[in-house]
Parts: sequence; C-alpha cells; structure tokens
Amino acid sequence: MAARKGWVVGLLALPAVVFFLVFNYLPMAGLVVAFKEFDVNLGIFDSPWNGLENFTYFLESGDAARILFNTLFLNVLFLGATLAAGIILAIMLNEIRSTFFKRASQSVVFFPYFVSPVVISIILQVLLAGASGGGGAVNDALSGFGFPAVDWYTEPGPWPWILTVVKIWQLGGYLSVIFLAAITGIPEEVYEAGMIDGASRAQMAWRITLPLLKPTAAVLLVLGVGRIFYGDFGTIYAIIGDNGTLFDNTDVIDTYVFRALRQLGDFGTTAAIGLFQSVVGFILVVIAVLIQRKYSKETSIL
Amino acid sequence: MSNPMMSRRGLLAAGGGLSVAAFLSACSSGSSQPQASGGASSAALTLSMLLPGDVPVGWDPVLAEVNKKLQADLGFTIKPQFIPWTSYGQQALLKFTAGEKFDTALQARWLNMTQLAASGSIVDLSSLLSSGKYPNLTATIDPKIIELNRWSGKLYGVPQINSVARFHHFSIRQDLAEKLGMSDITDFAGLEKFWYDVKQKNKDIIPIGVSSRMPKLMVAWNPVGWLNPYMWDNPNVSIASFTGDSFNFVLAADGKTTGSSNPIPWWEAPGMVDALRLIRKYYQDGLINKNALTLDSKALDSQFKAGRVATGWAMTDGLSSTALPELTKNVPGAMLANVMPLKGGESAKPYQTFQSDNFVVLNAKGQSNEKAMQLQDWVSIKENHDLLNYGLPGKDWNAIGDDKYEKVSTYTFPGFALAWRAKLERRIKDMTESETKWFDWAQNIDNFTVDPYASFVPDPEPVKRENTQVTAALTQFANPLFIGAVDVDQGLDKLKKALDRAGLAKLQAEMAKQADAYLKGQ
Repeated sequence: MAARKGWVVGLLALPAVVFFLVFNYLPMAGLVVAFKEFDVNLGIFDSPWNGLENFTYFLESGDAARILFNTLFLNVLFLGATLAAGIILAIMLNEIRSTFFKRASQSVVFFPYFVSPVVISIILQVLLAGASGGGGAVNDALSGFGFPAVDWYTEPGPWPWILTVVKIWQLGGYLSVIFLAAITGIPEEVYEAGMIDGASRAQMAWRITLPLLKPTAAVLLVLGVGRIFYGDFGTIYAIIGDNGTLFDNTDVIDTYVFRALRQLGDFGTTAAIGLFQSVVGFILVVIAVLIQRKYSKETSIL
Repeated sequence: MSNPMMSRRGLLAAGGGLSVAAFLSACSSGSSQPQASGGASSAALTLSMLLPGDVPVGWDPVLAEVNKKLQADLGFTIKPQFIPWTSYGQQALLKFTAGEKFDTALQARWLNMTQLAASGSIVDLSSLLSSGKYPNLTATIDPKIIELNRWSGKLYGVPQINSVARFHHFSIRQDLAEKLGMSDITDFAGLEKFWYDVKQKNKDIIPIGVSSRMPKLMVAWNPVGWLNPYMWDNPNVSIASFTGDSFNFVLAADGKTTGSSNPIPWWEAPGMVDALRLIRKYYQDGLINKNALTLDSKALDSQFKAGRVATGWAMTDGLSSTALPELTKNVPGAMLANVMPLKGGESAKPYQTFQSDNFVVLNAKGQSNEKAMQLQDWVSIKENHDLLNYGLPGKDWNAIGDDKYEKVSTYTFPGFALAWRAKLERRIKDMTESETKWFDWAQNIDNFTVDPYASFVPDPEPVKRENTQVTAALTQFANPLFIGAVDVDQGLDKLKKALDRAGLAKLQAEMAKQADAYLKGQ
C-alpha cells in the first residue's frame, strides 16, 4: 500500500522533475562555455578550451571589486528595506477596521508589483528630469523649499537610495500580503491574552505580531539571500540603461554582463561571470541556512 | 510488493530518458547544417529578415501585397521581424552569435558588422553579385559605390543608399530662427547665437536635442563631430575604430606618403578638447537636455515633432523634411531648415569614405543566400521598390511624376534596412529648399574628397578582449564627457585611466599595424 502511494506521489512529481531536468539541469552542460574560446561556427563542444581566461577577463578588468560591492550593497539594501516595508505595511493594514477600506488599501499597495520596469523608468524620468530633461516634479518641489535643482541623471550619489525607494514601492505591498497571511494565522487567543493583560494595540503589534512574524521573515530572508548575487537586472537596466555617470553606484553583475555580451557577443566571458555568480550565490545560501539553523532551528527550511 | 527504491529509480530513469531524448533532439536540430545556396525548397520557403524599429502602421496589407507578388514572381514569401531601435544592435548581434537561421539583416559599421565579418557570420557577396543573376540590383547601385564598400576586397553587404555620401548636420526650426531675426544660418557662430537666443526667449524649448544614441557622434566622428567646430572648419580628418562603439583613433593625414598611419587617441588631435569644453559650457548653460544619456531616440523624435526641440540631428538622406507634416500640425507655421556649418559651404570638398551607413547582410546560416539576393534584385524594380518603401499606391501614397511622392497615410517603412536604391528613391513632395540643396549636393561624388583610409576596415579579432573592455570604459566615462555632463579635465583624466587599464595601448599598436599594412597595400 505504501509503495503504491509512493508511485502515485512519484507520478504526480514527474512533470516537475522532467521540467527541472530539461530546463534547469541539462542546460548546465552549457557551462563548459565558461572555459572555452566560444566559436559559433564550431559550437559549444568543439570550440577550443582556454582555461580560466574568461574568468581573468572579469577579475582583471578593474571593475570587479566595484561591481561586486554594488551587487551586494544594493541587494542587501533592497532586501532589508522591502522586508521591513512589507512587515510595517502588513501591521498597518491589519489595524484597519473597515473591511472595505482594508481590501482597497491592500489592492492599492499591491498594484505596483504589476508595473513593468520600463513604465517605472518613464515615471522616474518625469519625476526627476521632466519632459524636457531639465526640471521635473522633484526639482520643482525642491525649488519650492528654496533648495537648488539637482541633475539627477548625472549625480550617482543618491541612486542607491532612489532605487531602494523604487523597490519598496514595487515590492512592499506584495510582501505585506504574505505577512498579512501570516498574521491571520496567529491564534486569536494570543491577542485576547494580551488584551486581558492590558496591552495597547501598539504594544500588541510590537510584542505579539512582530515576534510571531519572525519565521515568515526568516524564510523570505533566506530565499532573498539566495538571489542576493543577482542584480535585479530588469529594474536597474530599465532605469539606468547606458548612463555611464551612474555606473559607479549602480552597475551590478547582471548589467555589466549584459553590456559585455551586447558589445561583443562574447559568450565565454558572460558564461564565466554567470557561473561565478551562481557559485557565490550558492555559497551564500548555504551560509544563510546554516546561520538560520543555528539561531532559529524551528524555522529552518532545511 | 514492489520496492520503493525501485520506484525512485524508475522515476529517475524515466525522467532521465525523457531529458536525454529532449537533449538529443535539441542537439540534432541545433547542429543541422544550413541548406546550401539555392537548395531550399521554394514551394513553401519564407525568408526571414531583421528590420529595426516598430512594425509600420498599415504594414499587414502591404506585406500581403508584397508576398502575393513575390510568390508569383519568385516563388517564395518574406516574414520580417521588427526589433525596436533601443535593442536592435544587441538583439541582432545575439541572434547572429547564437546561430539563428534568419536570412538577412540590417547591419553597418556603426552596428556590429566588423565583428560579424571577422567571425564569418555574414556572407561575402562578391561572387553572388558578379554572377550576372541579379541585373536589376546591379543596375541600380553605382559600381563605384560597390567598389568603395568592399572590405579587404570582400563585399559583406548590399549597400543601401539614397545618396552617395553621408554627412551629419543639423535640422533646425527655421520659424524660430526667423522670429529671432536670423534668416539664414551658415556657420557655427550663427548656430550658437540661435541656441542661446532660443534658450533666452523660448524657455520651454530645448535648444539642442541629444538622445542616448548620439554621444559618440558629438566630438570625434567621421567625417565631422556633430558639435565640433574645428572639424566643421577642417573636414579632412581620418578616423578609425575597431567596432562601431569602440575607441576612435585619428590617423595621419600624410600616411600615404610616409607609409605610417600613426594612430593617435582622438583627444590628441587638434580641436577635440576644445569641442569638449564648448559642449560642457552648452550643457551647463542649459542648451543640451539634461537627460541626454537616458533619452530614447524615438522619444526625442516625438519631442522634436511636438515642437519642444529647436535643433535635431540630420543626415543627408532627405528624411528631415518628413517630420514637417506632424510638426506643423502641432505647431502651426513651423518651418524646418537643414544647416551645414561647413567652411566653404558646398565647395568645401570634405573627406568621405563613401562607406554606406546601412547594409543588407546575408546570414551565413540563412536558408538560401541565393534567394535572399533574388529578393534584393526584386526590390530593385521600381514598382516593387515603391510598394515596399511607400506602401499601397492611392492608400498610403500618391505618385507625383517619376521621382516624387505625397504621403497620404502614416505608413513608414525602414527602406534603408532592405530596399534603398539611390536611382529609384522618390523625394517627399514637401522637401524643404535647404534639404533639397544639401541632398542634391550629397548625390554627387565629385563634391567630396576620398578619405585616404576610405576602405580601411580594421579586424577586431586580435584585440577582441581589449576592444570590449575599452568599449565598456567608453560607455562609462566618454559618453558623459561627450554630452558635457562632467567636468572636462576630471572626466578626461578618469577616461584615460580607465582606458589604460582596459588595454588602449594594445589597441593602438594593433591599429597602427593594420593601418600601416593597408597603406602598404594601396
């Protein structure tokens, strides 16, 4: 009976297993390109080997340190800010009593998740540079307060923070829905006990809701850390494009690889950087999971 | 009772088997050899081609008519893929390097044609063209132009031209100039006054519109930098780079006599740093739009047509005037003029490589190179040429005589990417007087001096890595410098350091080697 059940479960899993084998594991054979001088006419397997040359290109370019720093720094910023925004929004939404207003607010904060990065980049251009490339709503507001206008598109300093605000706007509502679901799962008796003890709503949010959201936050954090080495190409490239003045603070591995591939179609180098990215990402996930297991074994995903 | 372990094995075996089957089938389709020229079955053959821009409004009925005629005349049809300009360069390159089997594409030196030629991704057309099988094509392209567009003796694409020479210049709002008391602008000083006056008196109008595709054209470009007054006064500078976006070297003018090309970085040539300083001043004074590095060329075009830009980029292809109908709809009474601040005007005889700005190239992995050439021959017949370029007669356009036309719809086909033939091109009815003058000028080969390095096309292969790194450094440090967004001294210093790291010295040595070899072979 148990064996039959095993077969049924196995059968159910078969499409997913085949999917992952075909689309995720088999293409890994292509990773050999990272060690080859790739020639389209010869194909992947007949192209000559070139050792670690594709890796040294990236590491010796002089850009590696800056790009690695930007990738980590921006993603840590995005991860921390979006998780915090998600939790705060969820607690705030949970405090709304009117069901209609609560649902409407949820929809409004969730909506930016569906807005394409290209549209976001246009909204930003209008806000920061205006239609004529000199002005914009933000500069108008600044001048209203007596501050000088800023050439946002040639000033790299504020961009990590601008991108973080964009990410919060984009993902805050999405994450808040996940946290709201977790809040719904908190037993009512816990809050009742809090009320009996005389806790205010703020105290209940701080001492009951927040600690009980820790496991959800921890799982999202580990999942986020797994992708920390991926630079969120879609958003960053749509907004920054080839604007070199902003690269110092915004260029991440993915945008760098995209430019390298676009300019020369050099598959070897891009595969090498991609492999490097994946290996470091994998190591980071393992470290994150180990830390999580050590400090919060009950919420560990492994 | 079956063993659960066996179940898992069975499962893995089944999954693995399926995967191997999928892999093998992928390999077999991926490694199949392209059909030999002319070997494709004509019964159901559809040629595919890469074209830049958005699908033209009113495209479907035109394509249906083109395919009906093509099927009847040649026995095959076409299915173009339109790729937006913002990503055409990279997508086309990736499609070539990934070995896709489309048939033709728009390519050029300013795109990725040198890389594609070096990697054997595109076909040398010499023997196809000289086979005598394409009489309409050979009759409509000047043999001199064909010769000047050979690279090391090989012809890598069919030049798509509507004038023999190309010259970047300015398309200005003549109505604004007249309101400001300037009836005829003929030099750089006049242009500068126009820009400052526009800035002062029309606060909502950008005096000089620059898009993200333009920075490389501004200072050191062939034959003249767009905002480089020295080059306009001395339009006889030879410039060479390994690839379209890569570093521009200035080559020795006396190379033919000394045998030494002596390539120098562009900033060492006269007038270049002065141009940077001038552009920086324009940027700081608000003459250039502050979002130039991110502004899409299409967005700039719409702003120009909406009347928000006083000066746009123009080429000697007779197309500036096509903006006029929409512009006058938005700004009644608007006028355009083409300004060429060339010292000596029409008698300046500037350098010209006569290299076409646009080529139709044949993919080495295409279905049938012979049929792709038949298509080029077919669009060289006036009736077919008109149909593809201007749309359905009576619906999209009306003929005015043999050489002019009137647009009656918004159909706009990128003819330069498939079907431009200088001898068949019609001029738009409302072409402005100044554009007519300069378009006529660009039709005559005798108005130009052949650049001493006209047919020199460097091979990037020996310095592939350095070239990529140099190009990346240019995107980061040169583009902001070219539009005036950063301080000249600091920006140039950063650029030089980045280029040194990227391997500029190796690039320079290789350029000298190849250019000297070219001079020797002359």
